[in-house]
Amino acid sequence: MLVSWNTMPTSIPKENGSVADIQFESPVIIVDPAAACGSVTLTDESSMTKASVRAADDTAAASALGLAFGSAEHRGDVFVARIRPDEWMVFGAADMVVAMIAELDLGGYASTVDITHSRLMFRVTGGEAAKAMEKVCSLDFSDHMAPNGSCAGASVAKVGCDVIRDDIVGADGATIRSYRILCDRSFGQYLFDALVDAKAEFG
Amino acid sequence: MIMSNRLPESSSEVVDRSKPIRFDWNGKKMKGFEGDTIASAILANGDHILSRSLKYHRPRGVLTHDFWDPNLMVQVGDEPNVRAGHRRLEAGMKISAQNVWPSLKFDAKAANGIAGRFLTAGFYYKTFMKPARLWPVYEKVLARFAPGGEVDLNTPHGYHDKRYAHPDVVVAGAGPAGLAAAIAAAQCGASVLLVEHEYEVGGHLLWGTDDDRAAAATLLAQAAAAGVEILTNSTVTGRYEDNWLGIAQRSHPIAVERLIKARAKVLVVAAGLIERPYVFQGNDLPGVMTSGAVSRLINMYGVKPGKCAVVLAANESGDQAVEDLKRADVEVARVVDARGSTTVNCAKGSRTRIKSVEVSDGSSIDCDLLVTAVGWTAPTSLLNMSGDRPVYDAAAARFFPNSPPDNVLATGGITGDGSRDELIAHGRATGELAAGRANAARHRIQAATASAAAVAGDEPEYPSDNRAPLTRADHPELHRSSTHGLVDYSEDISSKDLFGAAAEGFDSVELLKRFTTATMGPSQGKLETVNTVAILAEARAETIEQVGTTVWRPPYAPISLGALGGRVFEPVRVSSIHPWHEANGYTPILAGQWVRPEHYGDPHAEVRNTRTNVGITDVTPLGKLDLQGPDVPKLLSQLYTNKWMKLPVGGVRYGIMCAEDGVVLDDGVTARLGEDHYLMTTTSSGAGGVWNWVENWLQTEHPEWQVHVTPLTTGLTSINIAGPNSRKLLSRLVDCIDLGPGAFEYMQVRTGTIAEVDNCIVWRIGFTGELSYEIHVPSGHGLHVWNALLEQGEDLGVAPFGLEAQRIMRLEKGHFIVGQDTDGLSKAPTTGMISLLKLDKDDWAGKTEVAWALEDDYPVIVAVQPTDPKIVPEEACQILRDGTREIVGRITSSRHSPTLERSVCLAQVSREFAVAGTTLTVLLANGERINARVMEHHAHFDPEGERLRG
Repeated sequence: MLVSWNTMPTSIPKENGSVADIQFESPVIIVDPAAACGSVTLTDESSMTKASVRAADDTAAASALGLAFGSAEHRGDVFVARIRPDEWMVFGAADMVVAMIAELDLGGYASTVDITHSRLMFRVTGGEAAKAMEKVCSLDFSDHMAPNGSCAGASVAKVGCDVIRDDIVGADGATIRSYRILCDRSFGQYLFDALVDAKAEFG
Repeated sequence: MIMSNRLPESSSEVVDRSKPIRFDWNGKKMKGFEGDTIASAILANGDHILSRSLKYHRPRGVLTHDFWDPNLMVQVGDEPNVRAGHRRLEAGMKISAQNVWPSLKFDAKAANGIAGRFLTAGFYYKTFMKPARLWPVYEKVLARFAPGGEVDLNTPHGYHDKRYAHPDVVVAGAGPAGLAAAIAAAQCGASVLLVEHEYEVGGHLLWGTDDDRAAAATLLAQAAAAGVEILTNSTVTGRYEDNWLGIAQRSHPIAVERLIKARAKVLVVAAGLIERPYVFQGNDLPGVMTSGAVSRLINMYGVKPGKCAVVLAANESGDQAVEDLKRADVEVARVVDARGSTTVNCAKGSRTRIKSVEVSDGSSIDCDLLVTAVGWTAPTSLLNMSGDRPVYDAAAARFFPNSPPDNVLATGGITGDGSRDELIAHGRATGELAAGRANAARHRIQAATASAAAVAGDEPEYPSDNRAPLTRADHPELHRSSTHGLVDYSEDISSKDLFGAAAEGFDSVELLKRFTTATMGPSQGKLETVNTVAILAEARAETIEQVGTTVWRPPYAPISLGALGGRVFEPVRVSSIHPWHEANGYTPILAGQWVRPEHYGDPHAEVRNTRTNVGITDVTPLGKLDLQGPDVPKLLSQLYTNKWMKLPVGGVRYGIMCAEDGVVLDDGVTARLGEDHYLMTTTSSGAGGVWNWVENWLQTEHPEWQVHVTPLTTGLTSINIAGPNSRKLLSRLVDCIDLGPGAFEYMQVRTGTIAEVDNCIVWRIGFTGELSYEIHVPSGHGLHVWNALLEQGEDLGVAPFGLEAQRIMRLEKGHFIVGQDTDGLSKAPTTGMISLLKLDKDDWAGKTEVAWALEDDYPVIVAVQPTDPKIVPEEACQILRDGTREIVGRITSSRHSPTLERSVCLAQVSREFAVAGTTLTVLLANGERINARVMEHHAHFDPEGERLRG
């Protein structure tokens, strides 16, 4: 019997980010926790549910998702980034992402693919996160060229990535600079090690 | 360890006398202070010879005492070619002279000097040309005379870093003008990166008066307060298109060197001036120095450069040297004022030091120090790299900028002369102009960049250049005296050599440079270029303007290979099952960027087990593209040679993909998962290329087609389950999929749950020729499913197999591999799959070329079996027409088959040899010729396909 999965082709976790009781396997095999911590931290958020929505300008999906190309924002419990002119990425808890995708009218030239398993997602956070990123990426990370809520495709340590600035609020209420990095899952260990090396001088 | 030449402490020095440093110079224990250069410390200890010259091995001492000093290249530990006039002394340094034997003091290679008259420019070119067969001998001899230090091949590779930067303004040079420019630009709101070649900012203020040094300190404080990022001991090595700058930072706290790639909106060139040596007989004797060298040694390092000096002064720098020498208690025997008509004719001395100077008025003065202050070279390199062609001003006796592009500005001594305050004022005006232009550029870039913050208002007006220029002080043209001397100290090239080369016809400046190698040494022409041009002009009886000059190209200063290499980024990819491979004794093989298991110890055993029981293999690198949209069939029909409009949902079809020239680009199977939903697979190595190819057709050839392509190669962990027990094994793990032979036939696809993982895809296809299933599992659960297969299949004899076993089995089955059995000239007919070439289809990539190829002769892939079953011809062995050396084909794949216990091969041969039963002659790598027979089918094993369809 053929199962139709036009809307979400690959696995959508059933509950709490996992499929049944099977753990999501990280794309990073070896992690030195000490190296990943410090004033610039490196975390693996690959298990977060991620969907790609492709939609032409004249579709209902494009109107619903909105956003200017190159920008991103939090919408309730999900995060939406318009990473390419006709592509949005939606991240968040599984049920929230599924709900949002289910609400989209995918009529016309629009489609969606679950990219949870194909795109890893790391987060580089800290006051000097931009300086760490400058060691591996040629993007201009200044506030005027890459403000919070901006996103772009770029080479990071020679791997094709999507880079999204998504600052976080620290325990003291202060805003802390933070970048999400997405790329093909298979580069996980390599990219993680490259980022650990890049941030090493900042602690 | 008495520092016999150390002067009493003064407020102007940069050395810290409370921090003594011990070091070793050619085996002698010496003492210096923190802040000393290597050269200043050695001079302070009484030694004044620091090197031997390249060709004649003449003793050399301090000439300019800075980064450019060609006489101060030393070996420090295992690091060769260290610039002792620049590099700071460090505790425990083991410093030695380079390229001397047996010692610096008694260098046997100085015998070259005796034959000097025969070692003129072009000597190598003329002498070692013939006979050509002797070149290996020449090479060995010449290698012994090669200059430079010694590289220890066991030296550990240091940490070399890389960084990108996007400052509004980069200022190259932190003298008074550069500092002022940086401060002004930052105060106008620009982000500024200030790059200084030396260890301290301030430029010539550092060896000037107390007021000068105080001004430098004030400027430094202002720069820091304005938020200027200051890099000392760093060099802007090159300027490229649109202000893409290379910056070598030698002062990084954790890296040996860091290469900064900066995209500046405006570059300010404030490189200052470099003092030019004077050409006269004896100008390379130890004890002949520029005025700047003398002032730096005395004022910054507290070192007495000699006891009795003659000063040839044509400018204020010479006057300052006179004052500095007197204050250092050096007798000034004579000041030869070159602003008049007198000059120095020649210097005479012993083998180790100058002893007297002959002046043009006929007098001869005894001395151990000759100080020259005869003019300046404007280091316009960065301007040259920007497209500017500086022009020579005879009245000022130096080159000046001409018309650099708008986003490159020059300031300071490179543009003119002035007092400290005038230089600072010009710098400030330049900084304000740079900030204004950068602001306009930033507005434009920001408005044009989708991800940038929104910009308000219209683009600011691009400021015009209203700066009041610095004046140009008159300066006598002093390049060469009445005698011949060295022009290029690095290469031992004299003015006589240049005259000789010009007389031989090498009288254009570009030819002269290459023939004599003048200006091509480590100083990169900073000291030599203007004198070289002036002497050529003299030889041609023309002016410098008429002769022209060479063009300075990157790098501004030599840069280490380590810095250029930077941090090594070599991405590697692994599948989600990789931890299991590592833990279970796999032998890795690098396939493109992928690290894959080649085998787990015995690939033949892996083949036998798969043929007998069941094997599983990790094929995740297989390219996978998710295709969605109503026009997917049109796309597939365009890409593949066969027909795709009627592929049913649940069906799988194989296809060959051609480039426009009909050459096989890739192959693979594509499944129809839903009405408008397909999954395409490509070869592992072709995954990226095919994605590009697909997007090319969609974005440029047929933008009207509605197809969305998403690469899922790594999102789906792919496992091939092959062997007689494969169905039984898979059935233990799947839900919702009927694996029965009638329900799930060969070349069909299903989706369902495997080992409790939803949304898995199962294809019934096989590369190995066995009953097999290819499953694609969401990668976050790939390892879980792999482990489940091993656990559930234990009683079925399941075992993993690697890439090698897979290659053997596919060869037994006669499946070709694109790129292995085809090449860059193999058009689709070569595959032998003529039935897949649908010329009755409207259009497809490569159709016309394939149609032409079918009418022509083309090589064909055939299965080949050597007559002697034990012989496995090496891949790429030639196939010859019998009895001749005419090549009619080659072996493309070959292995020993553990299933058939004989060798199996695929080959490409001319069509006339592609007939079954033809006997081929194969030329082995050892020269032996063997016979091999062309088989009836590609498949050596199960040609009817009973096993895979079972």
